[in-house]
Amino acid sequence: MPVFKTPFNGYSVRFSPFYESRLAVATAQNFGILGNGRVHVIDLSPSSPVINELIAFDTADGVYDVAWSESHDSVLVAAVADGSMKVYDTALPPQANPVRSLKEHAREVHGLDYNPTRRDSFLSASWDDSVKLWTLDRPASLRTFREHAYCVYSVAWNPKHADVFASASGDCTVRIWDVREPGSTMIIPGHEHEILSCDWNKYDECLIATASVDKSIKIWDVRNYRVPVSALNGHGYAVRKIKFSPHRRNLLVSCSYDMTVCLWDFMVEDALVGRYDHHTEFAVGVDLSVLVDGLMASTGWDELVYVWQQGMDPRTA
Amino acid sequence: MTMTQSPSPPNSNDDKPQAVSAEVAQEANQAQQDVGAEAAKQSVPASVFVNSEPIREDQVSNAVKFLSHPKVRGSPVIYRRSFLERKGLTKEEIDEAFRRVPDPTSSSKPASLNQDGQAKSSSNVQTQAPIQTPQPVAVAPTGIASLEGRQFHWYHAVSAVGLLAASGCGTALLIKKVIIPKLKLWVRKVVLEEENDYAKKIDAKPSLAEEAAAAAKAAAAAASDVAKASQEMLNSKNEERRRFEEFMSLMDAQVQEMKSMSNSIRKLGGQASSSGRVFSDHDDHRVSASSTKQSYANGKVDVNVQLEGRSSTPPASAEPPHPKSYMEIMEMIQRGEKPSNIREVNDMPPNPNQPLSNPLIAPRTKVLQSQTSAEGLNQNGQDDGLNYLLDDESSTPWWQRKNVRITEIENEDEVKDTGPYGVRTNEQPPPPIQRTWVPPRPPPVAMPEAAEAIRRPKSTPKETATQEQSADGQSAAHPSEVTDELQRITKMSESVGALEMNGGFSTGNSAVIQEQENSYGEN
Repeated sequence: MPVFKTPFNGYSVRFSPFYESRLAVATAQNFGILGNGRVHVIDLSPSSPVINELIAFDTADGVYDVAWSESHDSVLVAAVADGSMKVYDTALPPQANPVRSLKEHAREVHGLDYNPTRRDSFLSASWDDSVKLWTLDRPASLRTFREHAYCVYSVAWNPKHADVFASASGDCTVRIWDVREPGSTMIIPGHEHEILSCDWNKYDECLIATASVDKSIKIWDVRNYRVPVSALNGHGYAVRKIKFSPHRRNLLVSCSYDMTVCLWDFMVEDALVGRYDHHTEFAVGVDLSVLVDGLMASTGWDELVYVWQQGMDPRTA
Repeated sequence: MTMTQSPSPPNSNDDKPQAVSAEVAQEANQAQQDVGAEAAKQSVPASVFVNSEPIREDQVSNAVKFLSHPKVRGSPVIYRRSFLERKGLTKEEIDEAFRRVPDPTSSSKPASLNQDGQAKSSSNVQTQAPIQTPQPVAVAPTGIASLEGRQFHWYHAVSAVGLLAASGCGTALLIKKVIIPKLKLWVRKVVLEEENDYAKKIDAKPSLAEEAAAAAKAAAAAASDVAKASQEMLNSKNEERRRFEEFMSLMDAQVQEMKSMSNSIRKLGGQASSSGRVFSDHDDHRVSASSTKQSYANGKVDVNVQLEGRSSTPPASAEPPHPKSYMEIMEMIQRGEKPSNIREVNDMPPNPNQPLSNPLIAPRTKVLQSQTSAEGLNQNGQDDGLNYLLDDESSTPWWQRKNVRITEIENEDEVKDTGPYGVRTNEQPPPPIQRTWVPPRPPPVAMPEAAEAIRRPKSTPKETATQEQSADGQSAAHPSEVTDELQRITKMSESVGALEMNGGFSTGNSAVIQEQENSYGEN
């Protein structure tokens, strides 16, 4: 399985929704504490397990997250730690990039999600406690959602309802929003500690998973949100990111500060179905390919990006 | 169109077939009222993302007690709300609790104390004419009344009660020891005078005696009044003591809540500044005092910005082991040094109005089971979502290959799945590229209409345009149609349940869609 070495510490990795072999990686220097950042666009070579870099963009501050546009195959958005977001177009020459700089957040932008249904809008989650809605054609945000009492770490669009999204925050709650409503429509006090990531089930639009500093992942049904459907324990430290599989109804992947990437089937008694411990530092980013069943990628503070097929060892050549 | 029932989330996000009837009912204005209840039942499943629970009174009253606590009053509103949200209250319950919290100046305890003080002072005024000692008693209640403006602490209650008791006893004692002997002396003097002046003032004597008797009676009456007053004082003191006990128990409960609140805040606490990057979630790196801290005492957040660097906070659980260089960098930042490998990067766009390039390919067709019944109307018939970047399709790329083990697991998983998988076939080891999860066809080029769709969610549908699997030229040529198609599709998915799909979709696929929709409808 190929490995890509980044000069800076990895923060996020995302598969392109257009090209099976393309990924974007968000990295930040000095663990994201202070320093520059870089966005890499990498391609998997089909014949040999090699990863080539297509292009890289430097930023003044660390990049915490990256999201591919669902409408343009060459456009991606990067969330930068200085509160801005940069839009890049890989089809344009490098000196024309970035094509946009969207700066409204007062603090670091930590999460991004592009609307897979409408395909023209995306959300940004920031440490300034707010979530903002943007489109590529406007320089200013369309909406600001400010209700959380602490940093918002992650946002996720509902895969079925184009106007519904969820936000996970350090105030230990997950909020469900509808862009047509002025405020949040539901508050799920999911954990006793900060919630770092949330994601919707791609096959059941009422199921949402939350990952928390308390090392657990909980699955919630919004129709009965007082009690979780399932609680997945097994990580040794805080769970940093989770993603539901676009191919399997019950499968989800998580990465954690215990340096492992885990696969879970939450409908099963013994939910942990796979564990990969290839990283030697915090595993902070993980993604599952929408186009290729079973293809997954992860990155961590050990400056490595792994891409592998589920069931294989990421470190084998 | 608007809903008539009160938990009125817009149901236009409902794209289930059931919504058809709900929508139809709505459009009949007259019938709207009648079928309001029906439509409510049918559309409530549509808006599952809204709280539909009624307000729980016990939660609201707990919240009111919490909010009435003086320490909570000093905290910013957002932290009060956040605390209540974490306890599981819904927005409506929290709003109701905020509405019910009384005005700080009219809380019950100081008011009752004030009333008692006034009662005492009025009763003492009655007896003040013949007796001069009740003045200190009068002073005490008014002194207590002056506390009304300040914060009422429990020790104030204790001292007030003690003062009252003491003054009551003192009054009683004084009356017994001083007043009555004085009266007696006075009466004896009068009697002696009577004897001396008996011959002279025979007529005056009886009046004098009468006067003395009357005065004695008045004094006795006054004394009994005072006794009654002190009795009342004792009673009210008892009552106060009782109320005080109740209050103390309430306070204890609130102190418990405050403790838990501060504990949870402390766990989050020690956190970094507004300019510091906070790994507040889990890093246990102890940053020294020079870096930013957040203290939640009294619900206030003190944020001290000292450094530009990032500081982290203790996690609730055990600390994950940090890389050594991470610690080094944190220490460097704390010392105020900047790591040397940072360079000045200008990442501003050279041309902020640079138009985006035209997309080379349209969004891939990715099938998401049954979900796409509503949205996946955009199944492209030609199904060459196989726009590979690579040209050599003779050998499947390495990432497609799966080993046998996975296939077995997949099969197991298949068994567990309840819904149909549509086009998926798992058995063959390079699985067909027909893929996974698909949202509808979007416009390749973002147009203002698309932004309109967000701003005005209930946009009117426009012309349908066939979405061809486009070569680059075509996509540029049909931007508006594609946009319109998006809107139309979204609308369709909401209203019609994606039943009318024309043109460009192969029958095979539409059959698949139908099947998925049916199965979805069953779910």
